[in-house]
Amino acid sequence: MTHPVLCVHVTLPLDRFGLDVAFETTHRVTGIFGVSGSGKTTLLETVAGLRRGARGRIALNGDVWLDTEKRVRVPPEGRGIGYVPQDSLLFPHLDVLGNLRAGHGRARRGAGDVDATLDGVVTVLGLQPLLSRAPSTLSGGERQRVALGRALCSGPRLLLLDEPLASLDAALRRKVLPFLRRVRDEFALPMLLVSHDPVEVQALCDDLVVLNEGRIVARGEPRAVLTRPEVFTLGEGEVEGFQNVIPAQVVETRDGVSVVRLGGAAEGPLLTVHRSGLAPGSALLVGIPADEITLALQPPPGLSARNAVPARVERVQQVGASRLVTVRVAAGAPPLVAEVTADALADLHVAPGTGLYLLVKASAVTLYEDGAGAA
Amino acid sequence: MLEVLRATFAWAAIATLLVMVPGTLVAYLLARKEFRGKTAVSTLFSLPLVLPPTAVGYLLLRLFAYDGPLGEGTLGLDLDVILSPRAVVIACAVMATPLVVRTARVSFEGVDPRYEEMARTLGHGRAATFFRFTLPLARRGLIAALILGFTRAVGEFGATIILAGNIPGRTQTLATAIFSAQQAGREGEANVLLIIALVAGFVAVYAAEHLSRTHAAAVRR
Repeated sequence: MTHPVLCVHVTLPLDRFGLDVAFETTHRVTGIFGVSGSGKTTLLETVAGLRRGARGRIALNGDVWLDTEKRVRVPPEGRGIGYVPQDSLLFPHLDVLGNLRAGHGRARRGAGDVDATLDGVVTVLGLQPLLSRAPSTLSGGERQRVALGRALCSGPRLLLLDEPLASLDAALRRKVLPFLRRVRDEFALPMLLVSHDPVEVQALCDDLVVLNEGRIVARGEPRAVLTRPEVFTLGEGEVEGFQNVIPAQVVETRDGVSVVRLGGAAEGPLLTVHRSGLAPGSALLVGIPADEITLALQPPPGLSARNAVPARVERVQQVGASRLVTVRVAAGAPPLVAEVTADALADLHVAPGTGLYLLVKASAVTLYEDGAGAA
Repeated sequence: MLEVLRATFAWAAIATLLVMVPGTLVAYLLARKEFRGKTAVSTLFSLPLVLPPTAVGYLLLRLFAYDGPLGEGTLGLDLDVILSPRAVVIACAVMATPLVVRTARVSFEGVDPRYEEMARTLGHGRAATFFRFTLPLARRGLIAALILGFTRAVGEFGATIILAGNIPGRTQTLATAIFSAQQAGREGEANVLLIIALVAGFVAVYAAEHLSRTHAAAVRR
């Protein structure tokens, strides 16, 4: 795709600052990253057509939704949006099936088989047992899945996800994330995802826009952008440390531990994780906290940590008192970031090109399975 | 006596239904929109609540009198309101309006406008959003408004007696019938009418209370 999927050039005065954002993306899944109060949700609502004061231009695949110069302002019902708000906002007067059908009128006017879509959504999101339930009886994870399903069933041309996992606790987040990945992979829809969580962004986005006080402060490939010092420090206090999220494949599982191959590439290094019952060959995401990685120049003898992964240094950056060391473990795999203190790093004499070993305790690794279990 | 009861309920029902549609729309505007003179509009619709009902009745009488703004002398057309059953309905409707508008407004204010935004993003226009989402979400409060308006209309006395009079078999209502019976010393008749009024009032208010309480619980969820 050469022409932009989504063009957003908008300004909107807010209480404390003005939203002033201009970006175009050719990627299918674009993330909007920033701390709370940075204008992310406002930007999403502007794209949805819910902020009347917005000025500028918004276009999806060449269809203009907003062009204040030409006095074009398509109302929200004319934009073809699947909006999933942070608090799911299910209609309390309808049951789950009623909520899923709330956008059927538009879906029927569009192309495609409405009932087949509904069946597909129910299957992918595992909603079958919930269909006759009232929204007030659902758990947080179930609500988010229904909200996602409602958006998908309305025949949208663009999915807008506002912190889809933020209202969930860590365990639930790990279970709902795979559903989001399945939605991304099985419904070929452009997505705009707002998040303050680096895990969510790395797991889902191809392109990332970082927002601070209403303005874009960084832009690019998610992992590269998130590890820039000025972005890395943004989330501090809101998110507990940065977690590297990279794809992996299960190689074998035994005695309560599993071995996965990082990066998915055939020559990727192996990592041992605390989890049994994973099917060999299945794909998943592993999360390795940047500050849980220890660097060693040689593989240390007599080590209790299960993992000593060979890697090569690409870059060393300064972030406050710590240093971010970007390393690559395999040719095809995305880079990993280790956060170490300046003193420790000085002793190692690490520079770009240095070969070293990453020591990771198996228990420090989080797994995000792609197979959809119940949330 | 049952004829009085039947007529009273019929007039009150017609008056309430007449008020419900415009009253609901005004309530929705007051709940959702900001416009110049909103407070004045809101006050105007509450006025019958604070004025003596006889004052409202007299105002209506002036309005429909031969030389009034809606009288035969001005319109060139006799609406034949004064001292007719129509007058009872009009008096009841005007007196029920504040309760309907205020109760409906509160029930609309209890509906999170974000549900309406969500409905819009799902492809529903303003009208469809109102009828398919806002009204159902506010329904309990609107039913309460209907019941309160109806009970107010059933009990209306002051405005009715001035505009419609108290003509047995033509414009007499439960309220004016009790007045007549008591004034004429027909205690037995007054007692029966009193019991009818007590039972009807209790049932209606109890239902309204019950509905608004479950509504509040639903909103809290």
